[in-house]
Parts: sequence; C-alpha cells; structure tokens
Amino acid sequence: MSRSRTTGIDLAARWLFIGLLILYTIYNLGPIFWLLISSFKSRMDLFTMPPKIFFTPDLSGYESVFGVGSAKDSASAFGVFESLVNSVIVSTVGTALAVFLGTLAGYVCSRFNFSGKGDFMFFVLSTRMLPPVAVLVFYHLMFAELGLADTRFGLILVAIFANIGLATWIMKGFFDGVPQEVEQIAIVNGYTRMYAFLHLVLPMVKGGIAATAGFCFIFAWNEFAFASILTTTKAKTLPVKISAASGATGIEWTQICAAGVVLIIPVLIFFYLIRKHLLMGMTFGVLGRR
Amino acid sequence: MTQIDASNRKRSSGRLMILGFLSPSLAILLFMVAYPIFSLVYYSFFNFSALRPAAGMKPVGLGNYEFLLGDPELWERFVFTGEFVALCVSAQMLIGIFIGYQLQKNFRGRDLLFTALMLPMMMSPVVVGFLWRYMFNSEWGVINYLLTVIGLGKVDWLGQTTAALFAAAAADTWMWTPFIVLLATAAFRGIPETIYEAAEVDGASPAYTFFRITLPMSAPVLFIALILRLIDSFKQYDLFFALTGGGPGSSTETVSFAVAKTAFSYFYTGEASALAVVLLVIIIGLSMILVRHLNKMGERY
Amino acid sequence: MLKKTLSSAVTSAIAICAALGVSSAARADTTLTFVWHAGTCADALMDIAKDYPDKTVKIVPALVPYGPEWHNKIASEFAIKGDAFDFAMWDSQSTAEFAGGGHAVKINEIFDKSSYLKADIFPPASLSRYGEYPDGSGEYYGLPANQDAYGLMYRKDLFEDPKEKDAFKAKYGYDLAVPQTYQQARDIAEFFTRPDQDLYGWGQMGGREYDFATTASNSFLWSFGGELYNPQTFEVKGYLDSPASVDGVQAYVDMFKFGPPGSGNWGFDEVNAAFQQGQLAMAMQWFYFNGSNADPKVSKFADKTAFGVLPGAVGRDKKFRRQFSVGGQGMGINKYSKKLPELTKFMEWYFQPEQQARYAKVCQTGLKAVLESAEWQGLNSYNRQFSTALAYLNDYWHLPEYPVLLDQLQEEVSNAVSGTKTVQQALSDAAEKHERTLQRAGYDIKRGDSTPEVPDQKISPVGVDEVVVVN
Repeated sequence: MSRSRTTGIDLAARWLFIGLLILYTIYNLGPIFWLLISSFKSRMDLFTMPPKIFFTPDLSGYESVFGVGSAKDSASAFGVFESLVNSVIVSTVGTALAVFLGTLAGYVCSRFNFSGKGDFMFFVLSTRMLPPVAVLVFYHLMFAELGLADTRFGLILVAIFANIGLATWIMKGFFDGVPQEVEQIAIVNGYTRMYAFLHLVLPMVKGGIAATAGFCFIFAWNEFAFASILTTTKAKTLPVKISAASGATGIEWTQICAAGVVLIIPVLIFFYLIRKHLLMGMTFGVLGRR
Repeated sequence: MTQIDASNRKRSSGRLMILGFLSPSLAILLFMVAYPIFSLVYYSFFNFSALRPAAGMKPVGLGNYEFLLGDPELWERFVFTGEFVALCVSAQMLIGIFIGYQLQKNFRGRDLLFTALMLPMMMSPVVVGFLWRYMFNSEWGVINYLLTVIGLGKVDWLGQTTAALFAAAAADTWMWTPFIVLLATAAFRGIPETIYEAAEVDGASPAYTFFRITLPMSAPVLFIALILRLIDSFKQYDLFFALTGGGPGSSTETVSFAVAKTAFSYFYTGEASALAVVLLVIIIGLSMILVRHLNKMGERY
Repeated sequence: MLKKTLSSAVTSAIAICAALGVSSAARADTTLTFVWHAGTCADALMDIAKDYPDKTVKIVPALVPYGPEWHNKIASEFAIKGDAFDFAMWDSQSTAEFAGGGHAVKINEIFDKSSYLKADIFPPASLSRYGEYPDGSGEYYGLPANQDAYGLMYRKDLFEDPKEKDAFKAKYGYDLAVPQTYQQARDIAEFFTRPDQDLYGWGQMGGREYDFATTASNSFLWSFGGELYNPQTFEVKGYLDSPASVDGVQAYVDMFKFGPPGSGNWGFDEVNAAFQQGQLAMAMQWFYFNGSNADPKVSKFADKTAFGVLPGAVGRDKKFRRQFSVGGQGMGINKYSKKLPELTKFMEWYFQPEQQARYAKVCQTGLKAVLESAEWQGLNSYNRQFSTALAYLNDYWHLPEYPVLLDQLQEEVSNAVSGTKTVQQALSDAAEKHERTLQRAGYDIKRGDSTPEVPDQKISPVGVDEVVVVN
C-alpha cells in the first residue's frame, strides 16, 4: 500500500472511509457511553430534559446490584453473590466443555470424509435453530424428571447445547485452515494421528480456540431464556437475578444500567485474557499474516 | 509393506477417532435436541396445556396447524419477521464488512478501537433492550433530544409500526454488527499479503482488489457469519418484548414472539408446539439452502 | 496459556462455591421461598420476616420482573409440579388459572385447621377478590396479602392556584376540583395541556405489554356502563362491543390528546417518570406506586402531589357509575410444597395485626383489623383515598383462559390507541376473538335476545342517578 499514486479520488475516498468509520464508532460507542453515565444518575436526573452530562453521581444503582449500602436490606439484595458464583461456574465450565467438544467434532469434520458428515454438521447447527422458548417447557419437564431443575449442572448442559453448534462450525473453519500435510508428514514419520492432532495441529489453532471460547463465553454468560425458567433460587444466574429489578418506583433504570456495566466486566476480562490470540489466528481458509 | 501398514493403521485409527471425537457431542445432541424436537412434533398434534394436565390431551390431528395457518395474523407476523431479518442482516453484513475491511489495515490505536467496538456484542441482551427503550423514549430519550438539537422533529419511535421496526433493527444491528466485524476482520487478515502485492503490481484499483480478491477469498467465513446471524435474527423476540411489547396491536410481533406468548402466557402447549414446528421448518429450510451453497463454495476454492 | 487461565478460573470458581456450600449448610433449617416481583412491598415482607421468632425458618425471595415473566415463572413451576417455591403472590386474575389447574392449596383447609387464620379476619370483598374461585363458590385459593387499586394523582399546586382556578371557572363555568366524572377530567386535562410549557393534562398507560392498556381502558369502559362479557352466558358480542363499552374506550383513547405526544405506548414507569418530572397535571396510576411518588428523593414534585379516587362517568343511559380496575396480589400456596406446616405457622404470624400494621405503612394490607383501626388512614397521604377506592373495584374475567383473553383485548385496545382501528372496530374484533377463544376452550355460549346489564353489584356498584362525590 506504500507507493500508491494518490489521486484526488483516492484521497476523497480515504477521507470518506475515515468519516464513515468515525460515524460507526459513534453509533457503536455512543450507547455504551450513555449506559455508563446513566448508571450513575439518580432517577430524577435520568428523565431531566435536556439530558444532563454533568450531575452529582449517584451510586445507588451499583449498591442495588451488589446488595450493599442503601440497598443492603432490600429483597433484591438477597443472593447476589451466589448468583455471581453460579454465573461464573456455569459460563466457564459450559464454555470450556462446549469448546472442547466443538474442537473434537470440528477436527473430525474437517479431516475425514465419513457418511452422514453433512447431516451431522447440520444437526449440530440445529441447536442454534431451535427457538429456546419453544422447547423450554420440555426442558423444564425433563430437568424436573432428572432432578436437574434449579441446578448448575443443568445450566451447564444448556450452555453446552447452546454453544456446541457455533463451536463446531467455527473450529471446523480453523482446522480447514491447517494444511492436511501436517498430519501426513507426522504419520509418515511414524507418529500416530492422535499425536499429530494433539501436538501439531492443536497448537496451530490456539487462536481459533481462543476466539471460539470468546464467543461461547459471551453467549453463556448472557444466557437468559433458559436460566429464567429453569432456575428459581439455588442456581439463579446474575442476568436473571438482575432482570428482576423493576418494582417500587417503576423500572429501576439506574440499577439496570449499573447491572449492564457490571455484567460486561467479566466478558471484558475474558477478552483481555484471550486478546493476543483473538486476531492472530482467526483465519479460516488459509494461513494468515502473523 | 510399511506403506500398506501405515494406510491401514491410518484408516482404523481414523474410524476410531471419528467415533471417539463425535460420540460425546452426538450423545449431548441426542439428549438435548432430539428429545425436545420429538416432543414438539408429538405435542403439536394435541390440544394440551402443560399447566392443566387434568384436562388431558385431546388428539386433534392437524387441527393446530390448520388453526394457525388459517389465521391471517400469523402471516402478518411472518411478513414482519421477514422484514426485520432482511433489514438487520443486510445492515449488519454491509456495515460489518466495511468496518472489518477498514480494521484489517494496520494503523495506530487499531487494537484498542477494535476491542472497544466489540463492546455491544458483550452486553447482556436484557440490558440492551432496556437501554434502547430508554434512549428511544419519545419524551426523554436521548435520540429524540439529538434530533431536536439538529432541528428535526421528535419521532414516536416505539408507538408506530414502521418506526418501531427501524428502532428494533437499529438496536439489533448495534449489538450484532461487531460479530460480523470480528469474523470479517479475521477473514480479511487471513488473505496472504503476496496476493495483494501481485494485484498491485498488475495495477489493480483498490475497488477491483476488494471485489475480486478480498471478498471472494473470505466468502466462506462471511457466509458462515451470515447463516448464524440469519438464524439468530429469525429467533429474535426479546428485543421487541422490551421495546414495544409487540404493539401497537400485534404489528411488531415476530413469529418467535408469538411462540413465546402461546407457550408461556397462554400455556397452550400443543398450539405453541405446532407454531414452533412451523418456525423450525422455515429456519431449517433456509439454513439448508445456505449450507448447501456454502458447501459448493468450499468445493470451488 | 488459555488452558491455564480457564482451568484456574474453574478451580477458583469451584473453591468459592465449596466455601459457599459450607456456609449455606450452616444456615437456617427450613427455607420458605416465595415468588414475587421486586419492589417496596417485597422489601417490606422481607423486612417483617426478619423478626419472625422461629429463627430456624428463613424466608427466601425469588424475585421476578413485573410483567409476563412473573406469571410465566409461577406457571412453569406448576406445570412440572415443582416445589422450587412454597408460596407466591400472583395477580388476582391468575387465581382462576392456577386454582383451576389444581396447583394451589385450597385455603379453606387452612381456615378449618388454624385457630387464628380464619376467613373473617379479612374483609369479605377483599378475600373474594384475591382468592375466590370460582366466583361465589366460597372456595379460596389466596389471601389478600397486597391490595391495590387504580387511583388518581394530581398536582396540588396547580389545582389550588387561585389564578388557575379563576381561569378555569371562566372557561368552563364550574369550579376547578378533583374530577368526579371523566367528562370533567377531560375539561381539566384540556385546560392544563400546555405543550409550550411542557405541561400536559393527563397521563395514562396505553402500552401493549402485559395489562397496561387494558386495566386503564377497562376503568373507562365500566364507568360508562360497558361490560367485558356476561359471566352467565359467556356472550362477549353485545357486551364488549356495546355502545356503552365503545363510549368508554373512546373516552380513554381521547384522553391521549392531553398527554405528551407519543405517550400511547406508555407503561407504569413512563407515567411515573413524566409525573415525577412535573410534566403532568393528573395521572392515572396504581396506589402501589404512591409510596415512591410521594418520596422527595424520587419525585421533584413529591410535596406538591396529592392522591385521589379515579373519576366515574355519566353513561349514555344518564346513570353515574364509578368502577375501576382492581390491582394487587393474593398470597397463594404451592400445592407441591413440602413445607405446608411451617408455612402455615409463618402465615399465622405474618397476618397478625402487628405485622400487617408494619406492612400497611408502605403497602396495602388486606387485614380487617388494620384496615379498621383508627390510625390506618393516617399512616400516609393516600390510605384514606384507598379506603374509599376499595368500594369501586371491578375485575376482569375470572376464568382460566384469562391470559389469552387479556392478550387479545390488549392487542385491540392498543390498535385503537394507535389509531390503526376505530374503537368500534377494535372492540368488535376483540369480541370476535374472545368468543372464538371461549368456544375453543369448550365453553357453551348461550346467545340471548337481549343484553341485560351484568349483575356486578357483588363487586362494585351499578349505575345510580346522581353523581356520588368522593375525595
């Protein structure tokens, strides 16, 4: 891109692109900014017109989310920490297992031709096609029968179910990007296929695993439909807990905004941890620029 | 001798590997997908409510389907869902590909910007619904405020069908464009530099390079992204729940919204199952067409 | 690196939960879980329950959002005959659905056994409203734990301003006062509608969600002499779309002219917010929210806010009626709970006057001893009006098909509010859908030649010749 002949049109196009990028950034980050400042507004300031950019910060939203300070005695304060623990366990374990299974299935589907492969791939994707609301009643009945209702184990199963399709498809894409020769050479040199998979191929798709885990974690952490019906107290997750924040004064907007800020933090931490792998290995078809 | 041995070993270990690697997923899928789909289809032939088990299960044959498909309102819901899906998916793909293309270039602060742009996707959908409802409020919403600042009139975003459709699409696009951006950026960066260099030597224009090299080479990934977004936006209902409650009338109810309502508010388990089956058939049909196309694309490259 | 992070996250998470498991085992022996939506009243219940003498019993809230999730949560637990909660507050109209499905404990059995909990400690009308199914059967499935009624709030400062009073009198020929009829309310709302000052006359709900539009429009419909259906013959046509019903809903739709533009899809929160910002001179709102609307921390106009009883209307038959929607929740018991003895003991304690008086400071109790006590009406700035309001309550269908009927009426009223359909058209379509729903559910609709006024005096008064002045 260095020695390009910069004509007027090129320059105009470049500035147009930059302008559009800025416009998109505003659209993308504006609501986040609004969420952030609203989470510090008292109910009175939230509805003032014109909207206030400068105001006395009000921490009551965060206090309600954590059940501390002024919200210590409210009914909503009950079990916030337990929900956080539930959420962390369910989403990390669920993500880990979904990625694990998706990696295995994705590898096999990438490397072998077997009868019913297309059907299997489609079957896996169908987990995403089922509208949760349609099958919730049956899950609820089944979970009650098996003693899985209101348990973390049940929710982990749901997290696997909800993410295995995504994980398998994305991982297959990554494995497709690793040349078949890698295993062939290994086998010719007397190594088993398993060895080649574990020690040669897997390290090459580390970035893909990270990205897949990132997606799965987002979905598992924010899962709401299943958790709201399948849990009541013991296994309640944080999003479900927080959604109940409407009551005395109407909808507790401050608290909901604060919850939005709090709920995004674990995902951000997760993305921070996988940041190095995120873009590096995200190459489906061919080996990418490193 | 060794040659035969190796290929033999390879084949048997391959079969073992297929079996070993797939069976756990298959087991979970059978348990978590096959059972509910079977139940859906089975109950769709009954007049049954899980909340009123004492009333029993009255077999009605195709009665539920006849009732639903004979209801003109259902078709309106399908049309609305289609409009919403078309609007969202095309906006997300277009913006996502454009932004992804800009972000695959190296510039200062790119990584920071890239991470920041992922934020909407990370948010809890419950909060997203409330946030946009707050911003779209006709009286104290920031969007109408900004409109009045630049001299435009206030819009009743959530009280009118067309405005609500665009409002919901704006919210959905806001949340999920980053998904496309992430996949698109990765795909674009996966294209080897040498190909671009060759194109430049040939004197290809940037537009030519983009449409003839970048897009075709990343098409499979973009297609997977498209399929996933298509499926997900077809299932969208909680956004409408938060923004309009389906109103005015039932004009902003998606099919999925109607399934949720029938299944949980009405607790008409049989009828809800039939509706879900109809929805599922459509989603599966659409996905099948796309996946087949994707496979063909894979063969070409 | 990734594997390590993941596995360390998992181990630490497991460690945390193991630690928690130990601490929770050391807690109370019996937990009684209840489902309700969050808010002042749930807080009050928790606050009172803290002083329950038996420390081995712990009351655990399982809070849900206000709206359909609340119903869905209870219903889906009943569907699996689960005991994830022991008792729940559900909307009065859901009693038919849950009791009819056989999921709620018949409270009569508790009345029979308990020495304190008896039917006569509650006002008969309240007990009937929040627990009786079927209507008039004397069988109860809920206790009036949290009463509520639709009410009026208005800006005292505007209503008492001499300048406003004179101007109003000059324009309309009568004194500015809290409206007794919707006809008056319309005048006053028109008078105070001043978009240039960002002031509007009337705020009300019109939202499509849950029961927002319907509870508001029903209050108009009944007051103008309309009916939802005939509970004896199950006819809907001729009732829901009668001229009187159309009058009522038309009056409701017209009131949006005196609200902020775009308020047609408002729910309770938007009405509250607009009122708290001083945008509204009057608003229709549940008494439930008065606690916060009178709270200076929440409302800019808390000290200028007064509460009243909703108007009635003089219908086309020249009769005056005042009827509005009942709100609130009964406390019902999950039949699949294994802790009925402990729960009964708790309820015997909770429904003592001492506890209920504490509750009545913030929320509306249904205990006769408290309601009749001298101090109750003075506990806050709205209990006196609430005691008056109790005489005018009406409720919609006490039928298990209630959620379907509600949703269909919501849809059509919302159509009328947005102007997609005329009121007549909307109500005719709703009647059509209702009859179809009832028929599909197996009801036999007996079509009569005439459409007599439904004998609803059991719940609330029928038309009278003179305007009955309250407030």
